[in-house]
Amino acid sequence: MIQFERVSKIYEGGSRALSDVSFSIERGSMVFITGHSGAGKSTLLRLVMMLERASRGQVFVNGRNLSKTPDRLAPLVRQNTGMIFQDHKLLKDKTVADNVALPLMIAGLKYSDIRKRVRAALDKVGLLEKEKAWPLTLSGGEQQRVGIARAIVSMPPLLLADEPTGNLDPMLSRELFALFQHVSEQGVTVLIASHDLDLIRQMRKRVLVLSGGRLADDIPASDQVAG
Amino acid sequence: MGIVNRLRRKFRAWLRRHSYSFFSSLGVLLQHKAGTLMTVLVLGIAMFLPLSLYVTLANLEGMDLRQDEWSAVTVFFKQATDEAEVRRVAEEIQQQLDPGAVEIISPDQGMLEFRELSGFGESLDMLEENPLPWVMQVSPQQGSTDTTSERVEQITRYLQSIESVESAQFDYKWLQRLDRMMGLAKALATILTLLFGLSVVVVVANTIRLDVASRTEEIEILVLVGAGNAFVRQPFLYSGLWYGLMGGLLAIVLLQLTLLYLGRPIGLLLETYGTAFELQGLGGYNSLYLIIFGGVLGWLGAWMSVRRYLRQLQVGGYLGRR
Repeated sequence: MIQFERVSKIYEGGSRALSDVSFSIERGSMVFITGHSGAGKSTLLRLVMMLERASRGQVFVNGRNLSKTPDRLAPLVRQNTGMIFQDHKLLKDKTVADNVALPLMIAGLKYSDIRKRVRAALDKVGLLEKEKAWPLTLSGGEQQRVGIARAIVSMPPLLLADEPTGNLDPMLSRELFALFQHVSEQGVTVLIASHDLDLIRQMRKRVLVLSGGRLADDIPASDQVAG
Repeated sequence: MGIVNRLRRKFRAWLRRHSYSFFSSLGVLLQHKAGTLMTVLVLGIAMFLPLSLYVTLANLEGMDLRQDEWSAVTVFFKQATDEAEVRRVAEEIQQQLDPGAVEIISPDQGMLEFRELSGFGESLDMLEENPLPWVMQVSPQQGSTDTTSERVEQITRYLQSIESVESAQFDYKWLQRLDRMMGLAKALATILTLLFGLSVVVVVANTIRLDVASRTEEIEILVLVGAGNAFVRQPFLYSGLWYGLMGGLLAIVLLQLTLLYLGRPIGLLLETYGTAFELQGLGGYNSLYLIIFGGVLGWLGAWMSVRRYLRQLQVGGYLGRR
């Protein structure tokens, strides 16, 4: 689903975010990326979402070589990728349902279909009764779940999450990861950047460890022992 | 079959995206009533100014063309000419020149008018015989001032060549002068239209620029969830369109109010010239064109603003960086 071939990313100004990173992720698997802040987790996700281009090497997502994909197709790449952010990135002046509907509006779906699918997505994250609420009236955990509903509403084959539990307590974090696992079991590839090591260990999934922009370790799911 | 269906589906999706932008942009404008009102007011006034000049010119033009006698050639016949000859000349003119109107004024009629207008009434009674000649007024066909002045010249030249005509007078210098003044005013109107049209574009561009700046967060989110440039741009372009349309509408309302307000004083003024005159407004079609024109200018202004901003949203731009 995702394949990095000797990818380096150097930002303008010379700061090196990724160096010679290679790995590949199977379709339908759930993988964590961890590492200290500044290790290159965000950059890696940004490359997958085509927010940045690799300075060297090649990035393949869903069979498409992003290094050779023109800018104008970037929206298409993003439409096929659900993205969840630490700060949720919800529109404050739109209701929960309207926020979740955004990707479908962009795809130009029929209004009645949008309604149906938005309700289904909200139901999946357990927020159906908050359909008409404003994002700012929700708790942090609820806002994050709205973000997840928005990411899965268009049923993309790939889900990315950048520090999704950053602002949540351990209980909520565990619930959130369980939700990701549920999504992954339905055939969606899930890639989560997180530094919540305890929680990651509990999940017993493959973990990519970044350090100083290099892939320091690649721990397969089977090697992890319940802690 | 497959291709047709796919195109149809794409077209429907495109249409839905547009209708979404169309209504959401209107919603945003209505949310910020005060700001929208001020922008629309500025646009309305900017469009009203050249518009009022155009309407004034159109009215002046209509006035001078509808006043037959203002552009009529006055023909004085020689003293000895009898009625039969005058009628024959009138006939000839009708056939040869196809004028708008020919009016014959007999010496008696002339005396009557002169008596009334001059106020010499009783002293005129002392005259033993009527010293006035037969007079004829020939008006050209109506047309634009340019062609009118040509026709008047042609009629005058023809009449002067007739034996029984003492003189055919027309002060076409004045008509010419009026022509040129109108030409000048029209050139001025064109310049004003260009300048104020430009100001409409600039005002909308600036408003949209601020609008875009205050909604960077929203735009960023849209792009992150997969919106293309067109989808990001559309609501702003529609905002520009709305601004222009509303500005045009306001300009027309201002114009109608002005005409209503000036109608009476202008009527009173023209009454002293003995002419009944009705102010002409813009008319339905022209009003519609103006509103559409305003919309186009607004769209253009918005496009200029948004185009510059969207360059920053390219891959590798600042988007989503914290």
